Amino acid sequence: MKGPSLSAPDFTLTDQAGGDWTRSEHGDAACVLVFYRGDW
Amino acid sequence: MVGISVDDPRQNAAMVEKLQLPFPLLSDPDGTKAIKPYGVWHEGKDYARPAVVVVSPDGRQVFRKVGTEFSDRLDEDELVEQLRELDKETDLELGMVDQPPPETQQPEPGEGAFPVDALVPYFRGVRFAAIAMGIRASAAKQEADALASQAERYIEAARGLQG
Repeated sequence: MKGPSLSAPDFTLTDQAGGDWTRSEHGDAACVLVFYRGDW
Repeated sequence: MVGISVDDPRQNAAMVEKLQLPFPLLSDPDGTKAIKPYGVWHEGKDYARPAVVVVSPDGRQVFRKVGTEFSDRLDEDELVEQLRELDKETDLELGMVDQPPPETQQPEPGEGAFPVDALVPYFRGVRFAAIAMGIRASAAKQEADALASQAERYIEAARGLQG
């Protein structure tokens, strides 16, 4: 990615156990978001 | 690391168990909470494009790679190399933490989910199709070779899941 970094929107999503997962609560290290099609 | 798709949490529980994933899978059914805000919604398909976004601890997108379709994705070695390069840039202070293994609930695979025993033959088919495509369409040989190589890595990974 070239140029200035974009800000990263915060979000809360439901995880595979039914709990909430909020990006900004995992800010002690870099976070790798892997988007994919699903239905596997 | 987290995976994000339109699948519901029980489908994601099934996928975590099937693929023995060491990271959580998050559900964004209509894409409005994360997939669209990050600009990776595949219009007309109603799911996410394959994409990797690295977010720094101070909330910036410091790496983005967005694929055109489901097989066009960053390979694992390239992702690790990108993370190492980013970590060398001291102002980013990416940090490294242990990630606890994800817990799951009662799994419920989606209708299109492959059973684990189907993964090896499926990716063998992908590999042979990619090889044939590379032979027939010389202009696409580089992409076809990359897809064949990707399929070979997935075959090895799937064999590991079969015990």
